Amino acid sequence: MFLIFQRLWQVNWAEQWQYRANLLMYLLYWLVSPIIYLAVWTSIANANGDVKGFTANDFITYYMVLLIVDQATSNIVIHTFGYKIQDGTLSGELIKPIHPMLTNALVNNVAFKALTIMGLIPVWIILFFLFKPDFSGVALSGILIAIPAMILGFLISYLISATITALAFWTTRVYSIHEFYFALILLFSGQFVPLTLMPPIIQNIAQYLPFQLFIYYPIQLILGKLSVDQIIQGYVMAGIWLVVSFLLFTWVWRAGVKRFSAVGA
Amino acid sequence: MQTLKLLSSFLKVNIQMSLAYRADTVVNILLNFMWLGWELLSLNIIFSNTTSLGGWGLGELIALLGVFRLVNTMMMALIWPNTEKFNQSIRDGSMDYTILQPINSMFLVTFSRITVWRIWDLILAIVLIVVGINMSGDTTTAASILAFFLLTISGVIVIYSLWIVLIALTFWFTKFDNNVTILHALLDAGRYPATVYPVWLRMIVTFIIPVAVATTIPLQALRGDLNINQIILFFGVGVLSFWIATKVWKRGLKQYSGASS
Amino acid sequence: MSSNSIIVEQLSKTYQVPEREGGFSAAVRGFFKRKYKDVKAVQEVNFTIAQGEIVGFLGPNGAGKTTTLKMLSGLLHPTGGNATVLGYTPWELKPDYLRSMTLVMGQRNRLSWDIPAADSFLLNQAIYRIPDDEYKETYKELDELLELDPLMKKPVRNLSLGERMKCEIAAGLLHRPKVLFLDEPTIGLDITGQVRIREFLREYNKRTGATILLTSHYMADVTALCERIIIIHQGQLKYDGGITDLSHKIAPFKLIGVRLSDADSHDLSGYGTQVQNEEDADKKYIQVKAEDVTRVTSRLLADLPIHDITITDPPIEDVIEQAFNQ
Repeated sequence: MFLIFQRLWQVNWAEQWQYRANLLMYLLYWLVSPIIYLAVWTSIANANGDVKGFTANDFITYYMVLLIVDQATSNIVIHTFGYKIQDGTLSGELIKPIHPMLTNALVNNVAFKALTIMGLIPVWIILFFLFKPDFSGVALSGILIAIPAMILGFLISYLISATITALAFWTTRVYSIHEFYFALILLFSGQFVPLTLMPPIIQNIAQYLPFQLFIYYPIQLILGKLSVDQIIQGYVMAGIWLVVSFLLFTWVWRAGVKRFSAVGA
Repeated sequence: MQTLKLLSSFLKVNIQMSLAYRADTVVNILLNFMWLGWELLSLNIIFSNTTSLGGWGLGELIALLGVFRLVNTMMMALIWPNTEKFNQSIRDGSMDYTILQPINSMFLVTFSRITVWRIWDLILAIVLIVVGINMSGDTTTAASILAFFLLTISGVIVIYSLWIVLIALTFWFTKFDNNVTILHALLDAGRYPATVYPVWLRMIVTFIIPVAVATTIPLQALRGDLNINQIILFFGVGVLSFWIATKVWKRGLKQYSGASS
Repeated sequence: MSSNSIIVEQLSKTYQVPEREGGFSAAVRGFFKRKYKDVKAVQEVNFTIAQGEIVGFLGPNGAGKTTTLKMLSGLLHPTGGNATVLGYTPWELKPDYLRSMTLVMGQRNRLSWDIPAADSFLLNQAIYRIPDDEYKETYKELDELLELDPLMKKPVRNLSLGERMKCEIAAGLLHRPKVLFLDEPTIGLDITGQVRIREFLREYNKRTGATILLTSHYMADVTALCERIIIIHQGQLKYDGGITDLSHKIAPFKLIGVRLSDADSHDLSGYGTQVQNEEDADKKYIQVKAEDVTRVTSRLLADLPIHDITITDPPIEDVIEQAFNQ
């Protein structure tokens, strides 16, 4: 089993390396909106002294950490896998004795991530000197406790995206569904603004949804803003959502493959 | 006249195409509404925490959203679909046919794809501008409205010219598939007034990828924040950039045909 | 106006191709200082084609056919020499010139895939400024020859390759061009499809008097349509003349085929070069110089127990192959 993953890694790393120019462009594209939000909120905090207790530095550290966390937990499986279902190239992968989405595509995403984070490091350092965040509140323990949370966040986000991708077995409009899903993330994950600044109703809904586990929860862990109770609550939520999203994915995937072979696409 | 006739032919063909994918069109309109909802909600969240952003109030930001959507409509209805078509035609060689048609190739490359339903987005944008200005209580005069129109057109032309230059670069660097990514990426910076950005970012969105020239500046003109010299200057920038774009395009075609080497 | 519609004088095209070595450091060096290699795609080619002629333009892959067609249609600037088509210099891309010629490339699509061809046709009408009555008349004529009507309403992606090619060619002819450049117009088509296009081109040429310069991999296209061929190899003109003269000039040989009662026991190599022919395995073929045919035939008849003897020209493919190898 280990050997399979090792070989898969070699292949997928080589493949992603081929696309490194595209990858840099993707990175540039993805960077812009957090920087805009950072600029907008720090300008508000500077004008008013603070926003509900958030100082300009709080916003800067939040978005600087967000750049890393979002890159660690997000995935691109819809773009690398969706078309395979639609144009039928999946057949070739289905007859292999490994699960296409839980092995190959997963490793492909991790390889993609490793490369983008490599690209992100120099950009992050430049931004560090441009915005001069004060990270004195961050402790090593916070970072260590956030790492498993980010891995869980990535797995949940991957499984949900994989479920949406698998909807391609039924509809040609997965990209539209994904766009809707993307809006949900924007609304409930803390990508636009720290969740505590969102309207109370959104905060209430957000704490039961998986999206905050992708962004808000790991950031707060790193910044050391959570109490022990909140940390435990977050990990419990993550555990529950991991199981739920895994079951959901396997169910949708099985039904989809059954349909795929019945139609004979 | 001939140009109008051609445009209507392009429109007809594109209406045909969108009818072929009408379910997608409906879904896209729904998604468009969803994003409008999100944009208004995000402004609401911002202004529940402050009374002004970069010196502008909620009304002005709604108007700015309108101007941004005006530019965005052009991108969505013309620029992105035609970029896709252009890159495709470079890859498969059908660019040859485009060049051999007896009309201006820049015109052809700009209008051969039109996402027709997006045109209704223009109406929405104008509604946002009118509502936003009314909410803001800014006084507008006939002169400032005229300046707003001129500078919006000029701003749109600046962005369009930049696009022409970016895709024309493909004639020199044939594997330049990412020709428009930078434009695509920075466009979103037009949603907020350029005055809130740190200096380096403001420089980029004003001079390099001049999104602010098409969004913040026309609205400043509408509010009467610009003097006549500034208005003439920004209008001049629009004219100049269009001139540069046509030159670069022609050089690009020469490169493509091997005349320049 | 002269009766020559295409005049080509000393036409040359040299490409500068960047030389690339493998490896990272070579890529970095190449970024700062690129080395170029000259590739002479077309070298000082001369020919003239009269209005109304159909000329086959032949040569192996990479011989410079497409480059020449691209220069004649105006897509490429030559690096030397000159060309005039209908009195215009093609690469000036004057709208009047573009309205009087067409370039059809078998491997490229002009029609939009998502919509029926009819709509693309109407767009072309607008682009080429074809008056309504003229458009209707031309369409009627094209429909008569190609049976377009049943294909017009379906989205192009749903058409077969042959049907699509018919539409592509028709789309290129709506403005009644006087000169047609056709690059592999029958590529990928089955035999019936090839025959249809071929018949259409012959008929179109007869009716309109248009000049046609075509390249094709299918020798049948050329033998059926063209009385004259131009052969180009490694950028240089190798032959320009009648298709029937070709074998006399390039390969003055005949093939003698004999059927023998006991084929294996006789060695024919003393009479001429033996050649293989898969289609007719029980016959033996020898290739002899044209002037020796009578002598060799009588020797064969005298020496061997012959059931059957035939004398033919070698296949045109072989002749052209020989022309390339000269």
